[in-house]
Amino acid sequence: MKRIYIFLTAFMFLLAFGTLFFNETNKPEQIEPQKLLMEIVRPGRYVTTDHVAKMIIQNNPSLEIIDVRNENEFNNYSLPKAINIPLDSLLNKNNLLYFGIPDMKVVFISNDAIAADQAWVFIKRLGFKNTFVMKGGLNHWMETIIEPQAPEQTEPATALDTYAFRQGARMYFTGGKAEISEPSKINVQVRKRKKTNVVAGGC
Amino acid sequence: MGPLFPNGVIAGGWDYVVAVLIGVAFGFILEASGFSSSRNIVGVFYGYNFVVLRVFFTAVIVAMVGLLYFNYFGILDLTKIFILPTYLGPMILGGVIMGVGFIMGGFCPGTSFTAIAIGKLDAVAYLAGLYLGMAGFTMAYPYIADFFNSGYLGHITLTQITGIPAHWFAFTFTVIALAVFWGVLGIEKRIRKNMTDYKF
Amino acid sequence: MAENRSNPWKVIIALSVVVIVVIIGAVILSKPSLTYNSSINKSLKDLDQKDVLFYPWQLADVINNGNKDVVLFDIRNDYDFGQGHIPGAENVPATDLTQKEFIKRMKKLREKNITVVLYGNDQLQANGPWMFLRQVGFNNVKVLPGGYDYYLQHRNDLAATKTDSALEKGVPRYDFAKMAASKKGASVNVQTETKPVSIKRRKKTTVVQGGC
Repeated sequence: MKRIYIFLTAFMFLLAFGTLFFNETNKPEQIEPQKLLMEIVRPGRYVTTDHVAKMIIQNNPSLEIIDVRNENEFNNYSLPKAINIPLDSLLNKNNLLYFGIPDMKVVFISNDAIAADQAWVFIKRLGFKNTFVMKGGLNHWMETIIEPQAPEQTEPATALDTYAFRQGARMYFTGGKAEISEPSKINVQVRKRKKTNVVAGGC
Repeated sequence: MGPLFPNGVIAGGWDYVVAVLIGVAFGFILEASGFSSSRNIVGVFYGYNFVVLRVFFTAVIVAMVGLLYFNYFGILDLTKIFILPTYLGPMILGGVIMGVGFIMGGFCPGTSFTAIAIGKLDAVAYLAGLYLGMAGFTMAYPYIADFFNSGYLGHITLTQITGIPAHWFAFTFTVIALAVFWGVLGIEKRIRKNMTDYKF
Repeated sequence: MAENRSNPWKVIIALSVVVIVVIIGAVILSKPSLTYNSSINKSLKDLDQKDVLFYPWQLADVINNGNKDVVLFDIRNDYDFGQGHIPGAENVPATDLTQKEFIKRMKKLREKNITVVLYGNDQLQANGPWMFLRQVGFNNVKVLPGGYDYYLQHRNDLAATKTDSALEKGVPRYDFAKMAASKKGASVNVQTETKPVSIKRRKKTTVVQGGC
């Protein structure tokens, strides 16, 4: 009886002693590779520049814009309220605290969408949700919001609405006056029917 | 794998089934440790039988060390475990009340059910007292609600308050518990020499 | 305690059962088939390496000469693949990248040191799968900048694209500050918002909402 208890005591002591050597595994939790691929192929992480513009104009409080370019480019120009986290310091402990805030939608932007997409993959690997990438990046932002192109005549009517919105957004972001161009009037030629007194036809 | 239910390893509908199974196992172990006898239970307060101390502290240190090992090997995700929210004042008072009832009645709520399971009548009386207490609490709730909800500190752990990593707590506690086990063994031996009418 | 003396085996049996259960558990929880090969920090640095891109002008070598050291994978779905693809490319839709046979094949390709090039409609579409394959340990995977669309435009003269600097990642096509500066002289938004960023960083908590 005594021997068993001594053995048990020693065993328990050894186990507890072993726990002392557990290094602080504070490395961030990562999702499994299969899950990561599922998230990668799932559509829906891209948001359009119009959508982002709308959220900025509406002062949407859940919007969090992360600019992953380097500091010089960020200081040169960036979107209002954007936070600069250069891509190579994305995984610093302090920067990681910007993610995972409940109810905040994180949108990554960069010059094209590729650096932003890469940042998205890393943040997704760490398991954070509610992350998005602005499609086309700042290049596309220039082409759609800052200098929107008027839609062709052949485009659907919604394109006109988008264009009107973009002009408004342009005014908001650059303070410039919008050049409102009247959609060119299509000249409709009406040919009057010739009045004839000829009655064609039967009785 | 983590905690099985939060991680969805077992579907949500099974939680009652698992609860029943765990309850059965718990009751069995309590009964097998001799906890359905009120003499054993209050022995720790009167100082002649320390089964309660040994069983519960063994459970605590095995669980602590085991959780740390599981967390280290990745089987469990310690950040997902539910931690009871701490209401400081009410919990202290509740502990005192529970301790008084423990000594007076000779059972704690769980062991009273195991005692009923083996047919003891004093456990039935204990149970009646239990329900009277619950009814009284419910009726008095409007008056004590403020105190009941005071002192909320959140779902904190000792590690969060003191900043000492968890494995230090585990190790220290294990060492203390093991030392106490051997200590009370000595105490029991001496007391048994003096008490002749109680058969352990 | 007297009973224990007559049956010391009780404790030994209980202990051995526990040990066996632990060992079985450790064995059953086998390593998942796919794991990350490098830590996330290393994967981030990995992006800056020089040889992660496979340029369109290198494609000419593959298409015309049938270079056996390079394999082209088209990660779009089979409909897009059928509409048109780079000659010599094989269709591996991005959703199939975790299939066991594909992983086995990738391992063989890696052993033989064959370069695997992924492409999609543009570099963005292939970016995710490319990063994924690199992170699970296939460091012989490259991505085609410009993707299929760029190839279509320049397929008759791929060698000339060697000097096209637009292919590099993250090249701004415009001078942003100039373009966004207001036409009427009002100040640009950027300067006015000196950023006390109003986003409070997340507090480190480990709260789990659970029930009793």
